[in-house]
Amino acid sequence: MPSDTLEAVSEIRELSYAEAVREALGQAMEADERVFLFGEDVGVYGGAFGVSGDLVHRFGTERVIDTPISELGIAGAAVGAAITGMRPVLEIQFSDFVTLAMEQLVNQAAKIRFMFGGKASVPMVVRLPGGSGTGAAAQHSQSLEAWFAHVPGLKVLQPSTPHDAKGMLLAAIDDPNPVLIFEHKLLYKTKGHVPAEAYRVPIGQAAIRREGTDVTIVGSSIMARKAEAAAERLAADGISAEVIDLRSIRPIDFTTIAESVRKTHRLLVVYEGVKTMGIGAEISAMIAESEVFDFLDAPIIRLGGADSPIPYNPVLEKAAVPQEDDIVTAAANLVRRGEA
Amino acid sequence: MPVEVILPKVDMDMETGTIEAWHVKEGDLVRQGDTIFEIGTNKAVMEVEAPATGAIRNITAETGVPISVGTPVAWIYLDGEAATTPSEPAAAAATVAAATPLPQAPIAHAAAMSLATSGLRATPLARRIARQNALDLKSVTGTGPRGRIGEKDVTAALILRSDPQDRVSKDVPGGSGASASILRDAAGAAPQDEGSGKKSCRQSEGRLQPFSAIRRIVASRLSESMRTAPHFYLTSEIEMTAARDLLGRLAKRHERIGAPKPSLTVLIARVAARILRDHPVINASAEGEATRFHARIDIGIAMERDGDLVVPVLRDAGAMDMPAMAREFARLRDGMAKRTLTPVELGGGTFTISNLGMYGVDSFTAIINPPQGAILAVGRTIDKPVGRDGQIVLRPMANFTLSSDHRIVDGVAAARFMADLREALENPEVLL
Repeated sequence: MPSDTLEAVSEIRELSYAEAVREALGQAMEADERVFLFGEDVGVYGGAFGVSGDLVHRFGTERVIDTPISELGIAGAAVGAAITGMRPVLEIQFSDFVTLAMEQLVNQAAKIRFMFGGKASVPMVVRLPGGSGTGAAAQHSQSLEAWFAHVPGLKVLQPSTPHDAKGMLLAAIDDPNPVLIFEHKLLYKTKGHVPAEAYRVPIGQAAIRREGTDVTIVGSSIMARKAEAAAERLAADGISAEVIDLRSIRPIDFTTIAESVRKTHRLLVVYEGVKTMGIGAEISAMIAESEVFDFLDAPIIRLGGADSPIPYNPVLEKAAVPQEDDIVTAAANLVRRGEA
Repeated sequence: MPVEVILPKVDMDMETGTIEAWHVKEGDLVRQGDTIFEIGTNKAVMEVEAPATGAIRNITAETGVPISVGTPVAWIYLDGEAATTPSEPAAAAATVAAATPLPQAPIAHAAAMSLATSGLRATPLARRIARQNALDLKSVTGTGPRGRIGEKDVTAALILRSDPQDRVSKDVPGGSGASASILRDAAGAAPQDEGSGKKSCRQSEGRLQPFSAIRRIVASRLSESMRTAPHFYLTSEIEMTAARDLLGRLAKRHERIGAPKPSLTVLIARVAARILRDHPVINASAEGEATRFHARIDIGIAMERDGDLVVPVLRDAGAMDMPAMAREFARLRDGMAKRTLTPVELGGGTFTISNLGMYGVDSFTAIINPPQGAILAVGRTIDKPVGRDGQIVLRPMANFTLSSDHRIVDGVAAARFMADLREALENPEVLL
C-alpha cells in the first residue's frame, strides 16, 4: 500500500478505549523487551474487561503473566522488577482491590527514588479499572484516585478518550517513576479516533474539550465526557460552557484551569469520587487561594459522588454519582442564579 | 452581640423589597415588636417589627431603593452594648463605624474595607471591578442570591453612572486604561476610549432604567411562563347583548340591596367561576409531570397600579354569588389603591382574567400567570354587523382569547370551555 493511503486510513481509524489500551501495550512490548504485563486473569482469559485480549498469544506467558490473587504480591513484584531494570505494567482487576497493594505503592514505589537519593527509580505502571455504573456494588465500583493524588512520588492519570488512553499509557511506560492510570469501566466500550502509530500524550497537561465563556466545567475520566455532553445541551440553552478534561490529576494542570476561570468567572468541578475531601476540594482551594480569586463572580461549586458506598440498586447507583443532567442543572444555576 | 435587622421575606416569591419609610432614626431606642420600618413588595406595604429591644444603629438602607431580601438594613444594640458605646452624632455614620465595633464578620476586615462595603455581599470579581472603577458598592443593588452583588450588577451601575466626565478611576492604581479594559470586559460593550467615544455611544443608547422590584418579578415570572409553558390561543367572538342587559338589571338590583354596581369584568369573572366547575383541567396547574387540579376556584383579575401589573385574587370565586363578588372586587380594588392588601390577597389564583376592553383593545393574547394553566384575555365590546336570520344586523360583540398551557390543556378541552363561555354569556339562563 502506498504510504499516503496508510495515512488516510490512520486518520479515520476508530478504536474502542479498551482496544486503544491493548494497542499501546502491544506497541510498548514490541518496542521494548523490558515491558511486560501481569495481573489477575490478564493472560489466557484476556483480562476481566477484555483489555489484554490476545496479548498472551502474541507475546507468550513470560511477558503476559497470570498471577495469583494477591495484589500485595503483584505490586511488590512490580516494584522489585522496576528497581532492577524492567518496565512492569500491572493490572489491578478492579481498582477497589488496590487497598491490598497500598504498602507497596505508597510506602515503597512512591518513596524509593527519594530515599535512595535518585540512585534507584521505580518505572512501573499500574492500570486500575474503576468507577461505578456496572451494577458491581460497593466493593467493585469506587473511584479512589484522590487517595493516590495525595501521595508525593506517584503520578495519577485519568484518560477519558481512546486517543488519550493509548497516548497516556505509552507516556506512562516511558516515565521513570510510578504511574497509576485509572480507567473508567464505562469508557472501555466508547470509541474514538486513535492514530495507528505509537504516540505520547504528555503527562500533566489538561485538554480544553470545548471553549466557552460563561462557566468552566472541570472533570476527568468519564466526567469529562459527561461535561462535554452537558456543555452541548447548555449551549442549546444559551450558556457557553468551557470544558476542561484534566487527564492527569497528579501532576495537575492548574494553569489551564486558572486561565479558563479568569475568563469565565465561574467554576464547576465534577468528579465521581466521593465529594468530601476529593479532587474537587483541591481544585476549588487552588483557585480560591490564587490570584484568580479576584475574578470569581460566583461561589465555586463541586459536584461529586455521594457520601455513601456505591449502592447495588441501579437507580441509587446512578443517583450516587454526578450525571449529565446534574451537570447541566448545576452549571445553569451557577450562571443564571449565582449558586448551585 | 448586636441583633441584625434584615429586610424580611414577607411573601413567597419575594426577592427584593423597598423600605417605604423608616419609623425610627439612628440611635432611637426601640422595644421588641415596635414598628421600625415599612416594607413595600410588589404587592403590598407591610410594617416590620423590631426583632429585639435596644438602640438602632448603622441604618444602612435608604428608603425607596429596592433591596434584596436578607440584606442587613440596621442593627439593634442591646442594653449592655448600648452602654459601652458612647453616644455619637447620628449623622456621622462613618465615625460611628470607626468607633463602634461592627457586629459579626465585618470586624475581621474592617481595616481593609470601608463601612460602605462591609455589610454587603459581593463576589470577588464585583469587588475588583468596583475597586478599579472607584465605585462605592453601597450604591449597587445586588441581584444574586441573598442580595449578592455580582459582575453584572456592578457593570450596570457603572453604565448608569451618568456623567461621562466622572473621575473614572483617575485616582485608582492601574489607571484609566486598565479600568476601561475591565469595564469593557465586564460590560461586553467596548468603548473605544474613555472620552468622546463613550459619550456619543451613550447618547445613542437612550436612558437605561434598572427594573423596579415589581418589574423584575414580572419579567422573571412571565419569561419563565413563556419558557416552560407551551402556550396556545383560542379566540371567540361573543355576542354581548344578553350580558349587557343582565348587567343593567344587576346594577338596579345591587343598588337596592346596597351592593356595588357590577362591572363587566365582575360579570365575566362570575360566569368563568361558574363554568370552571365543569372544566377542572382549565382550573389546574402543571406540576413537574403531573396536573394539579385545584380544589377551589380562585380568580385573579389583572390590574394596573402606578404602571405596574398586579393581580388581586377573588378567593373561592366559585362559591360567591354576584353581590358577594361585586363587594369583594370593590374591596380588592380599593385595597390595592390604598396599598393595604396583603401578599396573600395578591397571589395564588388558579385562573386569571385580563380585560383591556376599556382601553379600546379589540383582542389580544395574554401570557399565562404561572403556575396557572390558563388566562382569559377580554377585548372591548363594540357594535358590529353580524348575520342573524339571513339579515345583517348590528350586535355588541367582544373577543375573548384563552391562552392555555398545552402541557395540561388540549385544544378540545380549551374549545369546550370557550363554547360554554359563549353559551353562558349569550344565554345567561343556562347558568341557572
